[in-house]
Amino acid sequence: MIRFLIRRLAGSVVVLLGVSIITFILARVIPSDAAAMYIGPKARPDDIARVTHQLGLDQPLPVQYLTYMRDLLRGDWGTSIGTKRPVLEEIGGRLPATIELIVAAMTMAILFGVLLGVLSARWRGRAPDLLVRVGSIVGVSLPAFWLALILQVVFFRNLHLLPLAGQVDSDLRFVNPILPVTGFVLVDAVLGANWQGLGDALLHLVLPAVTLAAYPLGLVARMTRASMLETLDQDYIRTARAYGLSERFITYRLALKNALIPVVTIAGLSLAYALTGAFFVEIIFNWPGLGTFVVHSLLNVDYPAIMGITLFGAIGYVVINLLVDLIHAWLDPRVTLA
Amino acid sequence: MAAVIVAPAEPAMPGSAARVRRILARDPLAIASLVVIGVLVLFAVAGPFIAPYPEQGAGASSVANRMLGPSQAHLFGTDELGRDMLSRIIIGAQGALGVALLVVALAIGIGVPLGAIAGYRRGRVDAVIMRTTDLFLAFPPLLLAMAIVAALGPGLDHAALALAVSWWPWYARLQRGTAASLRERPFIEAARAAGVGDAVIIVRHIIPNSLGPIMVQATTDIGTVILAAGGLAFLGLGASPPAPDWGLMVAQGRTFILDQWWLSAFPGLAIFVTVLAFNLLGDALLDVLDPRRRA
Amino acid sequence: MTDALLQVRDLTIDFRTPAGPVRAVDAISLDVRRGEVVGLVGETGCGKTVTALSVLGLLPPSARIVSGSISFEGRELVGQPEKELRAIRGSSIAMVFQNPTTAFNPVFSLGAQMRHVVRAHLKLQGAAADARIDETLHAVGLPETARVRRSYPHQLSGGMLQRTMIAMALLCRPSLLIADEPTSALDVTIAAQILELLRSLQEREGFSVLLITHDLGVIRRFSDRVTVLYAGRVAETSGAPALFAAPKHPYSRGLIGAVPRANARRETLVSIPGLVPANPGSIVGCAFADRCPDVIERCRLERPQLVPVAEGHAVACHVAAAAAARSAAGTAPA
Repeated sequence: MIRFLIRRLAGSVVVLLGVSIITFILARVIPSDAAAMYIGPKARPDDIARVTHQLGLDQPLPVQYLTYMRDLLRGDWGTSIGTKRPVLEEIGGRLPATIELIVAAMTMAILFGVLLGVLSARWRGRAPDLLVRVGSIVGVSLPAFWLALILQVVFFRNLHLLPLAGQVDSDLRFVNPILPVTGFVLVDAVLGANWQGLGDALLHLVLPAVTLAAYPLGLVARMTRASMLETLDQDYIRTARAYGLSERFITYRLALKNALIPVVTIAGLSLAYALTGAFFVEIIFNWPGLGTFVVHSLLNVDYPAIMGITLFGAIGYVVINLLVDLIHAWLDPRVTLA
Repeated sequence: MAAVIVAPAEPAMPGSAARVRRILARDPLAIASLVVIGVLVLFAVAGPFIAPYPEQGAGASSVANRMLGPSQAHLFGTDELGRDMLSRIIIGAQGALGVALLVVALAIGIGVPLGAIAGYRRGRVDAVIMRTTDLFLAFPPLLLAMAIVAALGPGLDHAALALAVSWWPWYARLQRGTAASLRERPFIEAARAAGVGDAVIIVRHIIPNSLGPIMVQATTDIGTVILAAGGLAFLGLGASPPAPDWGLMVAQGRTFILDQWWLSAFPGLAIFVTVLAFNLLGDALLDVLDPRRRA
Repeated sequence: MTDALLQVRDLTIDFRTPAGPVRAVDAISLDVRRGEVVGLVGETGCGKTVTALSVLGLLPPSARIVSGSISFEGRELVGQPEKELRAIRGSSIAMVFQNPTTAFNPVFSLGAQMRHVVRAHLKLQGAAADARIDETLHAVGLPETARVRRSYPHQLSGGMLQRTMIAMALLCRPSLLIADEPTSALDVTIAAQILELLRSLQEREGFSVLLITHDLGVIRRFSDRVTVLYAGRVAETSGAPALFAAPKHPYSRGLIGAVPRANARRETLVSIPGLVPANPGSIVGCAFADRCPDVIERCRLERPQLVPVAEGHAVACHVAAAAAARSAAGTAPA
């Protein structure tokens, strides 16, 4: 187990080194006037010369890369041009809101995706199967940014059921504020026993989470269905039937465990998708997470911020993949962590 | 992304054209998706002759008719410059399909040769190529493309390039798997024994014999690329006004979503229906290639 | 003990295919008495496995029992509700499958898989369940019971897995064990050990065995009676020694001739020319007619019925039945 972790971490370090080279090239090599971009549209020639020197852009590229790496490792990910604050701080401050959104969406996607996939496989070729098959393709075909708008129109404007946007109602801030402890609003509401705040935050979470869940839900349902069908076809399922185990037990206690193994991979991939998907959802729902920051950075060519986010995303993905491997080993005894 | 939904582990033999037709003809969803794709292609080729207000579709404003709701004269309403939404969506089909084809063609152009070399040659070449794909796939989907566009500057061509750069590794992986198994097949071994060069074997035998899975992947990917390109455009990283770009139109209509919902709703619907059609077709093609999937 | 434990009567099973129904099992009758081993022999696709699965009510959805009856311990099984059949499966009738490496679930320990069975039928849990599992593991020659219980299928050899499979079959003290090609996935020495194990367990515990195989060598060593199937029909049924001494059906003769024996000279090896018909249900006469060396015109026009030719020996062949009748007439007093 420990040897496995060390080997995997070593592999991840190699991948992340490569990733850092790609982000370095994107930030420093491709733009012809990186210094001008750092300063912004009103850059004067002497400013550019000064910043060029300050940033070390007059150094040879390998030296620049080493400096960049040294700073990264020291925790200096640069300063955002837009907010003038350290990039790492910006990311850290906005991360809790994004994580809450992603966890809510992925929990829904995995729970319902697996459930629908299993139902679809059990009713193969019948009406529920057709419904799930088409539904899951619809899920992976919906543009999140469009679905978000449609849900706003339907549930806020027409039905008056759910709030339009934001993480909590703005009035709540004055009436009964959720005191920050961990930065996670739902957790903080529970810690502060602020049930009004918790209810309000949950209501605000529904539409963004549903929007973000659509794509992963479709992927997970499809994969579960395919994997379940393949599993139910195996000899060992016939053995279980021949030994008088009930269909319910065979489906949910036996086959599901076999079938979940490939689903874990897909769930890991959709989790990575959800990270970028969250950017779109957050902009539309005015969610105070990474998304707004990312999009502002992209549009304002805020390089330190863009590179920080990109690298951060890649690190997050590497961690997800590591988790996927660990879950695989836990589910499947044939996978050894040696 | 969609690349993972497909990716058959083993190369399936491309069915004969007749078999493909026969199986697709039994699948009502496949027929429906073909009809939708046919209509889209028609829009892309002959949009200006089909759109009720072709010059508005291209960008000409008609301020007197601003923000009209859907009606007989304007089925999908008009936008903040009085342009007929239906016409803009019809004219926009060309851009949407064009970008998707370009991205998929570029991704195949980079990924398939590299994957074929990796799978056929094995050894160090294989390791180098596959580790490179690992690097590109280490970014969450779309994040790398966003960063590339940011580095190059916004624009439709940059968005297409960025998408292709982040997409090719999927094709390289798929092609590598096919090439690796084809390598052991008798006709390839015979060619090798006869002294045919590696390059010739790859170009004449390996690639032509792996087109089936690649084409299925490409079909689904066209849908997914339209989705991704729409996303980039929505963020302002793709086409710029007054282009009739679907993603851009959704973004522009966003401000008015609660009152003039049609400004965003219909262009987004166009993206959704297009992506859905390609995904359904890809799904049906998978059934053709892999008989085990059929019910 | 000669009362019939399992009685199959005129069992007919069709498979739905895109080209229309195909008859897989055609009016098969079969008896297994208490404490005996009955071999069911024939080529691949002759309906052996389908017959066995139908006894357990485990036919695939595309298969349908058209007619006939299966009675077990005096109870009719055809048309029984799923719940009733489930109570019998794995308890009164247990099955041993061909390939032990795929017959066990790879992600559950062998102990867990055996516990599922014990819990379903004997309602035993925890230590009591493990105790019963250990008993049967001992019985099949796996004394390191705790290690086997903890192991996953990929950690044991094929032979050990097949022993474990037999142990699982014995858990609920079945009265009938159906063994479907129990040794054909194993190598020869292991296969011999497994057969000996089955034989000794059968003698000690007194259960009956329905042994399905294409290997007459296995039948010769291990069964009391044999039913030979050809293309979904019974060709011949007989006591095992009688069959090997004097096979009546030309197909049985061909099969026995095709078995390599250590003491046989090379030229006695016979192979049967031709192929098994694809849809024997459509054949009017004898399904073997096209491959038969003794074929006469009647064989193509009229389907031969199973005719007794001696005590406990019946054959479905016009030629063999006629010959038997002649010799019976010759020896009988006029």
